[in-house]
Amino acid sequence: MSHIHIPDGVLPFWLWGAGWIAALALVALASRMSARADVRRKVPLLGVVAALMLVSMSSEIVPLAYHINLTVVAGVLLGPWLGIIAAFIVEVILAMIGHGGVTVIGLNTLMIGTETALGWALVRGLVRLLGRRRIRPAAFIATILTLATTTTLLVGLVSLAGGGAATTRETGALDPSTLRFENPFSRGVFSVNALRGEEKAPPRPEAYLSVRRFAAVVYTLGPIGWVMEALVTAGVLGYVARVRPTLVFAGALAEERHTEPGHHMEGRP
Amino acid sequence: MDIAAVDRSATLGGSPLHRASPVAKLIAFACLLAAVVVNANVLVVAGIAMMLAAAVVAWRLPGRPIAALAAYPAFFAAVFALASAPDVLVGVLVVAKAVTAALAAIVLVFTTPYPQVFAPLQRVVPGVVGDAMLMTYRSFFLLLEKFGHLLTAVRLRSGFSRRRPVRAARATTQALGGLLLYSFDLAERDYDVMRLRGYEGRLRARLPRSASRPRDAALVGAAVAMLALAVLWRLLWFALNPVSWLVPLLGFALLGVAALYRRRSPHAAR
Repeated sequence: MSHIHIPDGVLPFWLWGAGWIAALALVALASRMSARADVRRKVPLLGVVAALMLVSMSSEIVPLAYHINLTVVAGVLLGPWLGIIAAFIVEVILAMIGHGGVTVIGLNTLMIGTETALGWALVRGLVRLLGRRRIRPAAFIATILTLATTTTLLVGLVSLAGGGAATTRETGALDPSTLRFENPFSRGVFSVNALRGEEKAPPRPEAYLSVRRFAAVVYTLGPIGWVMEALVTAGVLGYVARVRPTLVFAGALAEERHTEPGHHMEGRP
Repeated sequence: MDIAAVDRSATLGGSPLHRASPVAKLIAFACLLAAVVVNANVLVVAGIAMMLAAAVVAWRLPGRPIAALAAYPAFFAAVFALASAPDVLVGVLVVAKAVTAALAAIVLVFTTPYPQVFAPLQRVVPGVVGDAMLMTYRSFFLLLEKFGHLLTAVRLRSGFSRRRPVRAARATTQALGGLLLYSFDLAERDYDVMRLRGYEGRLRARLPRSASRPRDAALVGAAVAMLALAVLWRLLWFALNPVSWLVPLLGFALLGVAALYRRRSPHAAR
C-alpha cells in the first residue's frame, strides 16, 4: 500500500496541486544534489533501476491487490537523491499506462521518494549495527518499518482529503439512497432550465471519504504486503550482496572504480 | 497483460490518431483528463469513456490490450472505493473516473511513440530527469522481456511447484536478483553506446510536424467540447442532471456508428 491507487478527480485540487509543487521542487533539488558527480554516467543506471521498479510494479498479485515495489532496493542501489528522481520517473510512466492517476503523480512521488530515502537510511543504519553478514534481516526490518511509515502517511493524506469536498457529486442522475434513476422527463422533455437563470441552485451534496474504514482496510491488508515486499527485498539484496557485494555495500559507481580500473570510461582512474 | 503491445502499436500503427501531431494529442489528453477531474456525474464520466471507446473501435486500435490496461486501475480503484467511499454511487464514480482517465492515457501512448510523449516534459524538467525518463522507458521493455525469460527458466527447473512454495519463492527472488545484475550490465552497455554516439549529457527528442492541421484542430476541438460539457455539467448540475442519461446515450450512439464505420471500411484505418 505504498503508493496511492487513487484515481484522478477524487482528491481535492489543493492537495494534489501541492503534491505536484512539492514533488517538482524535490526533484529539482535531487537533480542538483546528484549533479555533483558525473551525471552522464548516472542516466543509464537510473534508467535501469527505475525500469526494474516498473517491471515489479506492473506485475500485480491480483487476490491481494498488491504488487512488489522494490523501492527499498532502489534506495540502497541509487541512494536517496537519485532514488527520488527514480520515483518521479516511475510514477510518470505508470500514469501513462493507466496505473495511477496523472494528478496524483506528485503525491505518489513524495510517497515513493520517502520509501527510497527512508529504506536507504534504515538499511545503511541496520547494516552498520548488525554487520554485513546480516544484510537479509537488516533489509527485512528496514522494509517493514519503511512501509509501515508510508502507509501511515497514506492514511494521513486520505484524512486530509476526506475533510474537504473530495468526492463532491450530484445526485440528480441517480438517487444513492434508492439507487433509482430520476425520471428524465419529469420536468418535460425540453425543460432543462439551464439558461433561464430563475432556478436557484440547491446546496451541492457532498460526500466524505470514510477515513476510519480506509485506515482499517490498509492496516489489515497492508501488513501482508509489507511482509511480502520485505521477504522479496531481503532475498534480492541478500542474493546481490552474495554475488556482487559492492553493489549493495559501496554503491554501483564505487564498484566500477574498484573492480574495473582498466575500463575506458571517462572520469575513471 | 501485454505491455509490450504499447510500444508495438505506437511505433507501427497507422491510424488517423497515429498521424495526428503529438502536441495536439497531448492537448486533447489534458482536456479529457480535466473533464474527468472536473465532472462528478457518473453518467457523464461513463459517456466520455464510451466516446473514447468509439475512437478505439473506429480507428482499429488494438482493443484487447487497451481494454486490459484500462481495466487494471479499476481493480485498485474498487479496493479504494470499498475502503473509503460513503455510498455506492461515489464508489462507482471513483471506479468510472479511474477507468476513463486511464483509457485516455492509454489511447495516447498506444498512438504516440514514447520519445514524442516525453519530449514536452523533457523541456521543463532537469536534464538528468528527462534523459533518465527516456532510458527508463526503453529499459522497461527490455527488462520485461528478460524477466519473462527468467521466469520461464525458473518454471522449467520446477521452481514454481505448488508443493514447495518456499523453493518457488526462493527461485523467484533469485530471478529478480539475476534481473538486477542483468540490469546493471545493461546500464554499463548503454552508457558505452551513448558515449560512442557522442552523448554529452542531454538526449534530444524531436517532435514531428503536423501532417494535417485540420485533423489536429478537429481532435483538439472534440476534446475541448468534452471538457466544456463536463464544466457545464459541474456548473449547472441542478438543471442538467435530469438529462444526464443523454451523455451515455450519445456515447453509445457514437460507439454504434464507429462499429458500423469499422465494418464498412475494414482497411480504412490501417
